[in-house]
Amino acid sequence: MAAPMELSCWGGDWGLPSLHPESLTVMAYAKFSGAPLTVNTINNSWRAPKGDLPVLVSEDTVISQPAKILNFLRKQKYNADYDLSAKQGADTLAYIALLEEKLHPALLHTFWVEAENYCSVTKPWFASRIAFPLRLYLPGKMSREALNRILLTKGGPPLYSLTEVEAQIYRDAKECLNLLSKRLGTSQFFFGDTPTTLDAFVFGFLAPIYKVCFPRVQLQEHLKQLPNLCRFCDDILTCYFRLTVSGQSPAGQDTADANLQKLTQLVNKESNLIEKMDDNLRRSPQHPPRKLTTLKLAAGGEESSPLSRLSP
Amino acid sequence: MSLVAEAFVTQLAAAEPWPENAALYQQLKEEQILLSDNASSLAVQAFLQMCNLPIRVICRANAEYMSPSGKVPFIHVGNQVVSELGPIVQFVKAKGHSLSDGLDEVQKAEMKAYMELVNNMLLTAELYLQWCDDVTVEEITHPRYGSPYPWPLNRILSYQKQWEVRRKMKAIGWAGKTLEQVLEDVDQCCHALSQRLGTQPYFFNKQPTELDALVFGHLFTILTTQLITDELSEKVKNYSNLTAFCRRIEQQYFEGHDKDCSTIAARSSKKSLLR
Repeated sequence: MAAPMELSCWGGDWGLPSLHPESLTVMAYAKFSGAPLTVNTINNSWRAPKGDLPVLVSEDTVISQPAKILNFLRKQKYNADYDLSAKQGADTLAYIALLEEKLHPALLHTFWVEAENYCSVTKPWFASRIAFPLRLYLPGKMSREALNRILLTKGGPPLYSLTEVEAQIYRDAKECLNLLSKRLGTSQFFFGDTPTTLDAFVFGFLAPIYKVCFPRVQLQEHLKQLPNLCRFCDDILTCYFRLTVSGQSPAGQDTADANLQKLTQLVNKESNLIEKMDDNLRRSPQHPPRKLTTLKLAAGGEESSPLSRLSP
Repeated sequence: MSLVAEAFVTQLAAAEPWPENAALYQQLKEEQILLSDNASSLAVQAFLQMCNLPIRVICRANAEYMSPSGKVPFIHVGNQVVSELGPIVQFVKAKGHSLSDGLDEVQKAEMKAYMELVNNMLLTAELYLQWCDDVTVEEITHPRYGSPYPWPLNRILSYQKQWEVRRKMKAIGWAGKTLEQVLEDVDQCCHALSQRLGTQPYFFNKQPTELDALVFGHLFTILTTQLITDELSEKVKNYSNLTAFCRRIEQQYFEGHDKDCSTIAARSSKKSLLR
């Protein structure tokens, strides 16, 4: 058996095992191919900021990018693409390039550049998982890197302002989601019935958009209009990650939502009870004339029937 | 561009038919143009040939600065200027010519994905080789890029461009790659293209599409350009169906044309194309 492999990556929330798209891709691939990975989520560890996450450590080798990690797993005979034809393998590469070019900038923007999202969700979440004093510096650095990347790759002329760049990247991302939805069609995974590398990558990119609750969610709303992609994410979460679709209860906003849910349930129960009582009250004035007739017809039932009527 | 602006431009484009004096601008062929720009320009030329639209190729030293997006090639049609293959394809479609109409939705998605693969891997590898590999930069890129300008402008412009490209490479994570890793990526990309092409004449069987034009542009340029070493072209030559594909498109669309034909220029000055 291969030496034990340990994956260090960002932790998860909102029902996901990880919030970071690349970490999620690697974890999904490991589940699909049956590789025994011990997942070590970065919490209060100084190793977090060194280089990029996710990082796979096996014996003495340290590998850091998702493509390289997947290659390493394949060499260790954990191959999820075993049944694919050569053309399907080529298609995998092409679709991964499409995801990187069209969807990744919008994902980065939603998480790190959009001011409301960053300040209310991303920064507190990451800051709570990094040790002091690094938490004061690292989220800002990741945000600057994301903005830099977006501007350098997408921000040349004729797009001159950030709003134009944003409009363009969201348009590209929505087109990419439409293309993925058309490609998936009605099948369960992208290449038939077993999940492969492409499914891991698509899941890694889509699941954070789908699940994380942001204030500004135009991409999530677009994704929710493509039911086959939503079903794809939910299927993988329930089958491979053993989490319920509604997920565990995270801190912050969701407890408020849960409380609201409980309150609405109580109100519903009460209104149901009130309705039942209303029904009883409405029916009761009609009963006396019937009782008279039944009394006449059924001689022995006079005492029992009023008692049975009035008791709830 | 906002949706309204795009719709407006499309409307303008659709109003007139393709004129006779359409022109494509690129940098100077013999002395100035670089590998990646030559590939992009050839791709656009191939696309227009496939659509049967006449185009003249005009070489100007300042083509990059004339272009609306800063990238070559760009076409000047009527009173509109459009640059880069993607927008040109849409522009030509607005005029009523399209190569990918016969494809169904899934095939169109595949075509777009493969075009992104070529842009993501092949084009980025070409840029890396030109601007981040020190030997190539010193011997080929710097002398060529600034050749129309006097000293010290030629050095300043090429350093400026190099700095820009290196920043972009760093942002997408390619700065840490070695040349071997980049060549391996090129190999992987060619392998994928070769698998997809198989034994068919074009990527989507009988008819060429913009994907064929793009792949032809890049592969042909890699095959016929002489750099410091032949490693890049060797990677492509490993796949016989890709070389046959390039030859087929060259024969069908570029032979027998007298205007600034890349093949004749490439063959006669094969040794001096990038020197």
